Amino acid sequence: MDGNKKILIVEDDVNISNIIKMNLTIVNYETTEVYDGLEALDAIKNGKFDLILLDVMIPRLDGFALMEKIRSFRIPVIFLTARNSVFDKVNGLKLGADDYMVKPFEALELLARIETVLRRYGKGETAITFKAITVYLDKREVTLDETPIELTPKEYELLVVLLKNKNIALTREQFLDKVWGGEYYGETRTVDMHIKSLRKKLNLQDSIRTIYKIGYRLED
Amino acid sequence: MKFWQKIYLFSILTFVMIFNAASVMVIERNHSQMLQQEINNTLSANMSVNSSVNAIIPILRIYDSIDYEKTVLTNIAKEFVDKNRDANIFLEIINDKKKSIYSNADFAMPPNRGELEALQNDEIKYILRDIDSRTLLFTTNVADINQNKYIFTYMKDVTPIYAERMEQYRFFWKIDLGACLFFMIVMFFISKRLTKPIDQMVKTAKVIAQGDFSERVQLKSKDEIGVLAANFNDMAAVVEDKINILERNNSEKQRFINNITHELKTPLTSIIGYANYLRVTKYKEDTFLDGLNVIYNEGKRLESLSSKLMDLILLNEDQFAMTQESLREIILEMEPSLILKSREKQVQIHLECEDCRLWLEKDLMKILIFNFVDNALKASYAQGSITIRAYTREETCILEVADQGTGISGEHLDKIFEPFYMADKARTKSNNGAGLGLSICQSIANIHHAVIEVESEVNQGTTIKVIFTKAGACREVGEWQSFE
Repeated sequence: MDGNKKILIVEDDVNISNIIKMNLTIVNYETTEVYDGLEALDAIKNGKFDLILLDVMIPRLDGFALMEKIRSFRIPVIFLTARNSVFDKVNGLKLGADDYMVKPFEALELLARIETVLRRYGKGETAITFKAITVYLDKREVTLDETPIELTPKEYELLVVLLKNKNIALTREQFLDKVWGGEYYGETRTVDMHIKSLRKKLNLQDSIRTIYKIGYRLED
Repeated sequence: MKFWQKIYLFSILTFVMIFNAASVMVIERNHSQMLQQEINNTLSANMSVNSSVNAIIPILRIYDSIDYEKTVLTNIAKEFVDKNRDANIFLEIINDKKKSIYSNADFAMPPNRGELEALQNDEIKYILRDIDSRTLLFTTNVADINQNKYIFTYMKDVTPIYAERMEQYRFFWKIDLGACLFFMIVMFFISKRLTKPIDQMVKTAKVIAQGDFSERVQLKSKDEIGVLAANFNDMAAVVEDKINILERNNSEKQRFINNITHELKTPLTSIIGYANYLRVTKYKEDTFLDGLNVIYNEGKRLESLSSKLMDLILLNEDQFAMTQESLREIILEMEPSLILKSREKQVQIHLECEDCRLWLEKDLMKILIFNFVDNALKASYAQGSITIRAYTREETCILEVADQGTGISGEHLDKIFEPFYMADKARTKSNNGAGLGLSICQSIANIHHAVIEVESEVNQGTTIKVIFTKAGACREVGEWQSFE
């Protein structure tokens, strides 16, 4: 997996900042944490970031004001806020934010949105490697030890979801939702079958772990 | 119809009616006077004819001849007519058989002449008649000459009088038209001018109705409309004040809700985030303990926040039963727990309490004192001291909590009573605070009709005074209790 994406976390609550950092680290993002607006401004001026997670209510210089100052850097921004008001959303998006997350949020959703925004900026990955497996996202090709492997479209998408959420357990429902879309709701057996065939085809018996009471997790 | 149009129309109508009626009356009176004068003239002329005839009656008696009588009468008539060379005068003499003896009338006599019947001596009858296009005044009397009755009719053409009246009417119409026109123009401006302030008020009212409550009527007159405008402005000012208060309350509430949301969601985000992390990832042992710590601490923070919120909500809604208590006794009751708390920070607590008796809600007062002392402890440096005083000044009782701690800088001083306001966010949070303590104190002070004063200097310390108005608190609460 491409480990070079740098994300700046601007969040004044240390606990929240830490949990975001932990979640981003397990999917191999590199993070920098700052705790107020002015610190963030310094960091943005001196560093190179692929994306900024920006809390609105931060001390010294609030998120909206910071947004104005850093627009010229053209770095994608996702707002984080406790307030769920339309005014805030519109204001944030008008100022050039790419997305908006209301606290409390799920780590998975945050990761998905980060990925979407990065892809929109052409910063998405073109290939993911995991052990001997390489997935070429643009060509939809999968190789194991340089040998192409034939996968059904659903198997391929399931593999991509597993790779992108490496080290994070997803429920069968989440897999269904991400790979098959909502209409297969409840048919969790389908997920089990596809996981089984992926394990076999790509030699992933040990890496795809079954997590009791939750679902599956791809582990290094 | 608009008000100015009403004023305009009604005043014009009234003017036209009165002006016309008055003019017509004047013309008619003038006319009837002239006519009366003409009648009188005619009658006197008739009399003079009559007297000339009477003068010759003795002579006629001597000659007792009808022909002679006729000749004489004709001569008298001719002479009279000649003397009054006026084409408008006519004379007719007939005998009692209605036979004409003399007439210079240039028109045909009307066939029915009622005045000729039953005519008495010494009586003159007159009548107005329209003949052809003329109006003639007929005056008739009778003279007895030698047992013969002769009827004299003296006629005068009074057409000019009627013509004069017509002329006056014609002239009047012109005047009438001019006057009405002039009046209409003047009245137009007057009614416009009179109703202009009303229009102004209508415009202002519309502006206000559209939400601009700062609009006022600019009117300085002293009449009723001026008074109305002044009252209208007063009303608008009251409405504006009320609206402003409502808006301020509303925005305060909105800020309060925003703050609650923020304060609730921040710990929730941590709790959910860590719990989920521990649930779905392969964590290391120290991450596990860190996570549990965060979940526990944030949970405690939520607990403290929710109980503070409950306090605040209760304070805003409930009625409290006040009892007469001594401030000193309350403070003494709290002393052990306060000292216990201060010992952790190695701070001395001094009490200097007079015996102030006040109407109080004891538990609320304890919360208030506790919050102030708690804040003082948080601000104090180790080995510092806190002084709690209770004393009487004039008509007030004062509760004072003074520390020698960090103090509050001026920029924060006027905001510290706002809910969720934190002068030092990091410190407040590390103490599980939510920034609600002082707003709770403020509410408690309000319930007791007390005023809070804060004096503070950075690094010198803070002194908080709660000033109870003795009389006010007693009276109001006392009355309220008597209703119970």
